[in-house]
Amino acid sequence: MGCHRENTVKRFKANFSIGQNILFAIIGIVLVILIVTGSIFYTSFSFRTDDLIEAQSREINSQIVYNFENYINSIIETASYIQYISSLYDVEDSYEFLQDKYLVNTEIKKDVAAVFLFNTEGKKILGNELSSSTRSSIKTSSWFMNALNEDLIYHFQAKGEKSLSADSNEEVIIISRAAEYYENGQEKLGVIRIELNSQAIIELAEKTNLGSSGHILFLDDDDELIYALGSYTPNQLKMSMETAIDNHYGSFSTRIDSKAMYMNITPLSRTRWRIVIVHDVDETAQAKKRMLIILILIFLGSIIIAVTVSVIISRRISHPIYHLREKMASVEQGDFHAKVHVSGQKEVVQLSHTFNSMIDRIRYLMDSVVNEQREKRKTELRALQNQINPHFLYNTLDSIIWLAEHDRSEDVITTVSALARFFRISISGGESFITVNDEISHVSNYLTIQKIRYQKKFEYLFEIDPEIYEDKVMKLILQPLVENAINYGIGDEQETITIRGYRFGEGVAFEVENTGYGITHEQISHIYEIMHGTIKASSVGLRNVYLRLKLYYGATADILISSELDASTTFKIIIPSELLQKQEVRP
Amino acid sequence: MKNRRNFIFVCLCIFLLTSCVDQQDHAGLILYKSTDPFIYNFARQIETYADGTLELEVFDSKNSQILQNEQILEAQLGEVTDLMIINPVDRLSSYAIINKQRELEIPVIFFNREPLQKDLALWEDAYYVGAKAEQSGQLQAELIMELFGSNPYELNEHDRNGDGVIQALILKGEPGHQDAEIRSEEVVKVFNKQGYTIDTLVEVANWERGQAYENMDDILQDYGNQIEVILSNNDAMAIGAIQRMRESGFFTDTNGNGQIDPSDENWIPVVGIDGIAEAVGLIKEGFLYGTVINDSDVQAQAIIELSEFILGKRSSADFSFELVADSYIWVDYKVFTLE
Repeated sequence: MGCHRENTVKRFKANFSIGQNILFAIIGIVLVILIVTGSIFYTSFSFRTDDLIEAQSREINSQIVYNFENYINSIIETASYIQYISSLYDVEDSYEFLQDKYLVNTEIKKDVAAVFLFNTEGKKILGNELSSSTRSSIKTSSWFMNALNEDLIYHFQAKGEKSLSADSNEEVIIISRAAEYYENGQEKLGVIRIELNSQAIIELAEKTNLGSSGHILFLDDDDELIYALGSYTPNQLKMSMETAIDNHYGSFSTRIDSKAMYMNITPLSRTRWRIVIVHDVDETAQAKKRMLIILILIFLGSIIIAVTVSVIISRRISHPIYHLREKMASVEQGDFHAKVHVSGQKEVVQLSHTFNSMIDRIRYLMDSVVNEQREKRKTELRALQNQINPHFLYNTLDSIIWLAEHDRSEDVITTVSALARFFRISISGGESFITVNDEISHVSNYLTIQKIRYQKKFEYLFEIDPEIYEDKVMKLILQPLVENAINYGIGDEQETITIRGYRFGEGVAFEVENTGYGITHEQISHIYEIMHGTIKASSVGLRNVYLRLKLYYGATADILISSELDASTTFKIIIPSELLQKQEVRP
Repeated sequence: MKNRRNFIFVCLCIFLLTSCVDQQDHAGLILYKSTDPFIYNFARQIETYADGTLELEVFDSKNSQILQNEQILEAQLGEVTDLMIINPVDRLSSYAIINKQRELEIPVIFFNREPLQKDLALWEDAYYVGAKAEQSGQLQAELIMELFGSNPYELNEHDRNGDGVIQALILKGEPGHQDAEIRSEEVVKVFNKQGYTIDTLVEVANWERGQAYENMDDILQDYGNQIEVILSNNDAMAIGAIQRMRESGFFTDTNGNGQIDPSDENWIPVVGIDGIAEAVGLIKEGFLYGTVINDSDVQAQAIIELSEFILGKRSSADFSFELVADSYIWVDYKVFTLE
């Protein structure tokens, strides 16, 4: 079983044509090269793109953070100055001076909207004029309480805070801090509040290019959104918020609303805020996708080219070979005149030339074999024809001597003239084929001689269809059968030998019938065996005829023997139709 | 069968061996700025104490919070990190770090810059090891009070103009830095509390020697002979100031006794904080009157003991520090002078 399967597998493998093999080989090579180079190229490109995105985003991030931190530092410097100046002078003695110092900041610095100093009761000590509405709530405001609870640090607050200044109602960023001041020579604790125009921060953020959907978020330490700047959809904002809150801080690639983004979350120093910079890198990431598509197109293109080229190459190679094969097939059928004219690859052309010369050689060899055979057959036939004559000649000469001894000159004359005619026909100018008419008269001469010799112990008659008189048949085929009929059929009683000739199919058949005891089946078989040469016998006549028939007319020519006991024995010669034509072929 | 058993045995041996070798825990040590000599020294001491118990991966944040954030994440990426020891750039940003560590479940010890109490309270595995800044200011004040005769109403010869008021220059570190604020404030507070009258000039030099050196130029021009004492928030700034003053003719051996000492006319008491090696050298030479040692050696020891305690390699009985409020280890400052 296993062996068998193995064999089929082998056969299956071997069954690929040259074209298929070339096709598979080229496609295989192209595929391997494309896959390897393509994946190496894409991976390195993709790594480089990722690195580029990361480097770019980080650079932008640090620039933005740097800008903001610088800004915050400058604000804190202002705040420190105000705090410092407040601790140096007594608000009672130097109110004008201090108030001037406070207000000059709001005038010089565009982004500083207002500066205040409150005491612990929430009463304004120094700074811009308060708007009337908010005065009462100061003490309970978170910016105020935070400053007192956690002194030493600046508190940044921006969620929907409105300016306390009478001049303005805009949203502001509040920086508050506990501070000491002197009133009537006494050190007191208060809270400084600096209001920043939120415009400054927005302007800082606007300077940066974060891509089409890039945005900046500010989150406070409770993960609440303070500002969202840049371009974003509500959904993107929501997702950015969630991602930022989940990650606390750091830099990483992410997807916001199915767009590739690079997110940097950085705590903004001193503020307890975090700045979330969402850099839209979708376009750069798209380049990766485009590269992939280009690679796939190159891939498909190369495969198509490879397939086309390999099909063409394999056609060019295999077509002449197919052509050659077809020609060889016709040679296989026996057409040795087929000439192969193949154009194409050098090897195949050479192969066809070689094949042609091989065919020429084979044809030459075959022709010479045929000629040899023909010569051989001619020689054999001559030999066989020549075998007939001596026996009969001895016997006839014997009987002529016997007739002459008994002074039967009449019979001698008849016999000798019949013998002369007999031999004329036998020789018939060297022809091997003679007309049926001549053949019959040859037998008739023979019978004339034999009848004289056998003292008229038999009668003979001819029943020949005149239609076949002019057909040419191999000569001297009837005489041996008649000789047989005389030798074995003639007994004490008067016998009759009947010679028939008639159209048999397209061919001709002759029958030689003699009356008498007939012969048994065993005897018939025995004769057949002698005829076929399986048994050697001294009588060569019948076998001689048989051999000659087969030699010239082929397998379908035959001699059939039939017998009715106590009635007759018949030898029938069948000369098939197509072989009649062969009369023309001269041996 | 036998082969397989042998194989398993060999595997087990290898596993045991490697687990023995790899018994050291890994920790990231993040420094706000390694060019700060105090921090540089501090880090060496931490490494010394960590030797054999903790394998440290050290990062220098170069005073950038952005860089520090990246480093903290990098230190915990991939390789197994059991603990983070962080000297934050911006102490107010520590809440983000603590939140992240809580998510990663990797304990964190802060040092040198103290996170807000409420931030440290965000997670039980966030700790702080440091000294109380107030104490450094107090010790500085006490050192000077002693020098001035310990009597607020009768100052000795160090009150150069004899007005009964101490004219003091305060060299302040980075404004907004907790230690700078507290130290500057506390030292004045203590003088006032003890009944001394003190007139202060505050000069910000951001902890840096170079800035102190440069800023002293203007100050010496404007107040050169009025200053009676210099109180510096750290040693580096004190050293910068002394260098500039020496170039201006201060600190010379006027009485010819072969050394710089308080009896020389142009000697002014300068006190620092931290106790770095160079400061100690200057004290021995007589230029720097004294320093308050921010005992980084003991703090380093405390950090490593706390690390071992957190990682379960040290029992509380073995623990030589008190863990205050489950999060703080306070290490005392020490005064260092020539006496």
